Amino acid sequence: MNPEFRQALYETHLLIEEHAKDREIEDNPLPESIARKEAPRIPDVPEHEVVRHYLRLSQMNYGVDTGFYPLGSCTMKYNPKYSEALCRERDALDLHPYQPEDTVQGTLRIMYELQEMLAEIGGMDSVSLQPAAGAQGEFTGLAIVHGYYKNNNEERDEVVLPDTSHGTNPASAAMLGYKTIEIPSKEGCVDLKALREAVGENTAAFMLTNPNTLGLFEEDVLEIADIVHGSGALLYYDGANLNAIMGKTDPGKMNFDIMHFNLHKTFSTPHGGGGPGSGPVGVVEDLKSYLPVPLVKKEGDKFILDYSLENSIGRVKGFYGNWMVLLRAYAYILERGREGLTQVSERAVLNSNYLRKKLEGTLELPYKPLRKHEFVLSGQKLKKEGLRTMDLAKRLLDYGYHAPTIYFPLIVDEALMVEPTETERKETLDEFAAIIEKIMNENPETVKNAPHNTAVGRVDETRAAKKPIASYKMREGDEK
Amino acid sequence: MEETKEMLDHLGIAGVEELFKDIPDKIRSELKLEEGLTEMEVMNRVKDILKENRSLSEFSNFMGGGIYRHYVPTAVNEVVSRSEFYSSYTPYQPEISQGMLQALFEYQSLICELTGMEAANTSMYDYPTALAEAILMSDRINRRKKHRFLVPENIHWEIEPVLKNYLRGTDIILEWVKYDKTTGQIDKEDLKRKAGDDMLGFFVSSPNVFGVLEEDTKFYSDIKDETGSVMVAGCDPLSLTLLQPPSEWGADIVVGDSQPFGIPPSFGGPTVGIFACKGRYIRRMPGRMIGETVDKDDERAYCMLLQTREQHIRRDRATSNICTNQSLMALASAVHMFVKGGKGLEKIAKKNYDNAHRLASLIEDIDGYSSPSFDSEFFNEFLIGNQKMIDLKEFKERCKNNDILPGIPLGSWTESKFKELPPSLLIAVTEMNDAEDMEVLVNTLQEVKE
Ligand SMILES: Cc1ncc(COP(=O)(O)O)c(C=O)c1O
Repeated sequence: MNPEFRQALYETHLLIEEHAKDREIEDNPLPESIARKEAPRIPDVPEHEVVRHYLRLSQMNYGVDTGFYPLGSCTMKYNPKYSEALCRERDALDLHPYQPEDTVQGTLRIMYELQEMLAEIGGMDSVSLQPAAGAQGEFTGLAIVHGYYKNNNEERDEVVLPDTSHGTNPASAAMLGYKTIEIPSKEGCVDLKALREAVGENTAAFMLTNPNTLGLFEEDVLEIADIVHGSGALLYYDGANLNAIMGKTDPGKMNFDIMHFNLHKTFSTPHGGGGPGSGPVGVVEDLKSYLPVPLVKKEGDKFILDYSLENSIGRVKGFYGNWMVLLRAYAYILERGREGLTQVSERAVLNSNYLRKKLEGTLELPYKPLRKHEFVLSGQKLKKEGLRTMDLAKRLLDYGYHAPTIYFPLIVDEALMVEPTETERKETLDEFAAIIEKIMNENPETVKNAPHNTAVGRVDETRAAKKPIASYKMREGDEK
Repeated sequence: MEETKEMLDHLGIAGVEELFKDIPDKIRSELKLEEGLTEMEVMNRVKDILKENRSLSEFSNFMGGGIYRHYVPTAVNEVVSRSEFYSSYTPYQPEISQGMLQALFEYQSLICELTGMEAANTSMYDYPTALAEAILMSDRINRRKKHRFLVPENIHWEIEPVLKNYLRGTDIILEWVKYDKTTGQIDKEDLKRKAGDDMLGFFVSSPNVFGVLEEDTKFYSDIKDETGSVMVAGCDPLSLTLLQPPSEWGADIVVGDSQPFGIPPSFGGPTVGIFACKGRYIRRMPGRMIGETVDKDDERAYCMLLQTREQHIRRDRATSNICTNQSLMALASAVHMFVKGGKGLEKIAKKNYDNAHRLASLIEDIDGYSSPSFDSEFFNEFLIGNQKMIDLKEFKERCKNNDILPGIPLGSWTESKFKELPPSLLIAVTEMNDAEDMEVLVNTLQEVKE
């Protein structure tokens, strides 16, 4: 327990505002008509000052390596350091995407083997590593759905999803021009009746994650699949929650047709302060020919980039995916292996249920107790004291924890979504539970005014939105 | 393990399997993977496999085409290796994430300084997806009955298939504008013919896929003004230390890739898609953006800006589906810019320019080559052509034997890329190429013509 937590606070002016000067460019080799006259205001600061600036900023930031980060849906597990070391190898990072295939056989081998490993883990036939993140995986999967029905001359213009779905699901569907139909859940799970009524000849796909975002396993998944397939639609699996089920079941077994993986979640690549991630897409055999190109193929003992897929949707990004992220995931899967990955899911689910049990007396737990890798509490109780889940989240920061995800999923009032992950030990969970209980009994004013121990106090996000300042330039007011 | 047992006891169950009893038997499966390895074994095995690669350092390298090999200052790696940064995630809790927030705000500010735009987001996945998002944004800015968007043919060959997917579900129609076969720039007559006040907007890239710079920039701002449409400009950020910023010729949105700053070639990913726009369009932006504000004590603070545009709030009406982006790469780019400083970057840019022009003239001196192919100014990448080249396969073989990556073959000797051009090579030159590299290339080019 760490009530003494104090985050560093430095005076951190922007390097630009401190040092930038207006400057004319001299001896510009470009022709007068297109030459820049005024240099961009990038300051000339001694290197050590730049390094100090960033070192200080780093100390004003909180990562998994700082402490417990139970941000639900994001799988903030500890990321092994061997992966970081491998990514600093020259033979990994000093490679051009267009150098001849026979000079990148190592990389192509790793990508090929990763395709195979992910296909095995997902119960899919084939996998493309191209998508840059989960949301792009969804986009890719739905583009495949789009291509598939176009080829079959079927006009299906709706995507159905449960009201517990992650925001990227409807957003991805909308980007592909689909109308989205959200069906209300029943007891936190898919309501089969509502599903039956929602799907039909216009349905292109039903999107689901299992366990769902409440951490509940959709036990009716096979029936769901039958209903969806019965309407002629395809079934999409959002792989964000795969960390709960490895070695126990897989999307293929559950009769999903298309899925994405979140390598930055399940396969332990760091989240990078927001990215990069990687969102490979897997499909069943019938859809293989629609995958983006190229795939990595093995020919004899050589690995090649294969562009020959008959119905391929083409590309969703440049080159072949976020290779440096793929490499980390590959190393992680090798290290964990069959049993290790199964244990990952077992421990993730054990940690989640243990913490859930510890907290369900303190805060309300809607729906049935047995959860998978995460659970969602309601902060309704806080309202009595004039508090909200937001306040609890902010107060948690004071004790040196990152807050859980809040206000998602939308169907839980004052939601607090907790995902401890498998890499935390019991003491951490005990301490965290004790702190939540302590906060519930604290003076409401203290909680309302939290955080107190972080670099800055509660940030005024509304003001930020009223007169947006998205750059140093905009602060100076020279908006055009 | 003792710990596990205590936890199971607390839950009142005998084993962890009971926590999976909600997974029906019918769908149970087991993993068929290898046994796990120790860290030492993983390191040995993966490094051994990586040895099957030949890194760029083993070649005289002139590869570009969207990914460039620049020197990455050591300090960049030191900073992005701080795990307070890389082991954090999207700064949903701003009070405890000020470090990353400010660092990303500074990245946005730098991109604005370079491009002349007022607002930038923290990243798109890469250049092609940034352009795709820009086209979608032009539709939000400029709701028109007709949804034509004009794109020139002189863009990277991997962009078109990406655009096709991003526009799949929209009624936006891409219309292609020819390029001028002499200059490599946009065919102005063709653009003028196709432009109209019924279009959403148009794209101009400078440099374009041939490395060519657009020289008559006023022409584009005139087209924009005449049609009242959205101009999207493509850029190379390093060139912008010397080149007129797109804001000065009318761009509303600027896209590009910040890979030349701080990001190794990495086999093409991750990089960082640049996305910047005029301040007045900020509410139409896709992706995460960081804003400056104050905390409750009126002290300066940073937070995510206008989240109500985004998927986690607005769901199917969000401006984009992007969630996880390329933030750490944006950080790397910003650190690179600050470490080198404005003057340092300008020096590197000049060196790129000089090296490229020196090499172009060395090749021009070889009989049969036209170098550069196009009669236009360029920055650090250019196209050369020669009607009489040996067969492409043999060419590649010779290059391999000379340990040279001579550039990217385009034109009639390839299967699909700009077949209307003679056998050509797209050559990128950076501060990393020395006289010896150039000599190897020149000698090879002498050998490989018929
Ligand atoms: C359930 C769920 N689906 C999809 C996504 C989107 O993934 P990404 O952020 O990698 O785009 C996320 C994560 O943010 C998620 O939690």
